[in-house]
Amino acid sequence: MAEKFDSLEEHLEKFVENIRQLGIIVSDFQPSSQAGLNQKLNFMVTGLQDIDKCRQQLHDISVPLEVFEYIDQGRNPQLYTKECLERALAKNEQVKGKIDTMKKFKSLLIQELTKVFPEDMAKYKAVRGEDPPP
Amino acid sequence: GTTELTGSTNLITHYNLEHAYNKFCGKKVKEKLSNFLPDLPGMIDLPGSHDNSSLRSLIEKPPICSSSFTPLTGTTLTGFRLHAGPLPEQCRLMHIQPPKKKNKHKHKQSRTQDPVPPETPSDSDHKKKKKKKEEDPERKRKKKEKKKKKNRHSPEHPGVGSSQASSSS
Repeated sequence: MAEKFDSLEEHLEKFVENIRQLGIIVSDFQPSSQAGLNQKLNFMVTGLQDIDKCRQQLHDISVPLEVFEYIDQGRNPQLYTKECLERALAKNEQVKGKIDTMKKFKSLLIQELTKVFPEDMAKYKAVRGEDPPP
Repeated sequence: GTTELTGSTNLITHYNLEHAYNKFCGKKVKEKLSNFLPDLPGMIDLPGSHDNSSLRSLIEKPPICSSSFTPLTGTTLTGFRLHAGPLPEQCRLMHIQPPKKKNKHKHKQSRTQDPVPPETPSDSDHKKKKKKKEEDPERKRKKKEKKKKKNRHSPEHPGVGSSQASSSS
């Protein structure tokens, strides 16, 4: 799974490094650097080509848009994953609490109804079958 | 039915995400983008809206470009013949940090193979001094931030199995 990202990562790193070096050359240019500059400019083109070729391997990868918010704010995108998991667990616990409460209520209700309407409740249980304990 | 998947099951366990949960929620995740991408040059912790580098703008206004990548030929390259001399201060890429320690060896190696000729001695000293000055206040600031972070209490993490009465599967 991780291998298909390795190739893309490698190309991206090389591309970024090339740009960084371009910046250094340009910030204080000497005419003798022209050839090197041209070479690096063309590496930008081939670099983009290489990155584009990686698309095929990754066509099935989806990225949630919310992660972009984190990146745009200069925040670690792993915080998004962390917060997703925390929210999922919290919601899980909340819903479980509701389900447990409803089950308790149901068994209490059946109990009390059976006291007041034993025959009807006997019919109800026969139709519904035995519910598993909560 | 009682066999359907509901919130009464621990869904993190159900979907085999315990390892992921412990990895992300069990320990402190560093705040900054540069903590995630330590080798990326430039001031990446700045908001993308400041220098028009946001991913959001890329989605909202995708750049219009051709589908092919043609190398730059002799004629097109004439447009890149530059004047000699340093850029004015505001255009200077002073915010580009040199790569971190790990890459410095690689960087030095590539320099000897680099077609770019070495700068004149006076220039390189000046640049080296400038770079060192930039690094030191940056390093001091980062050290201070690290100390502050260490002093904060680490967050309590809820146990994964704490919410359920019965185990699933």
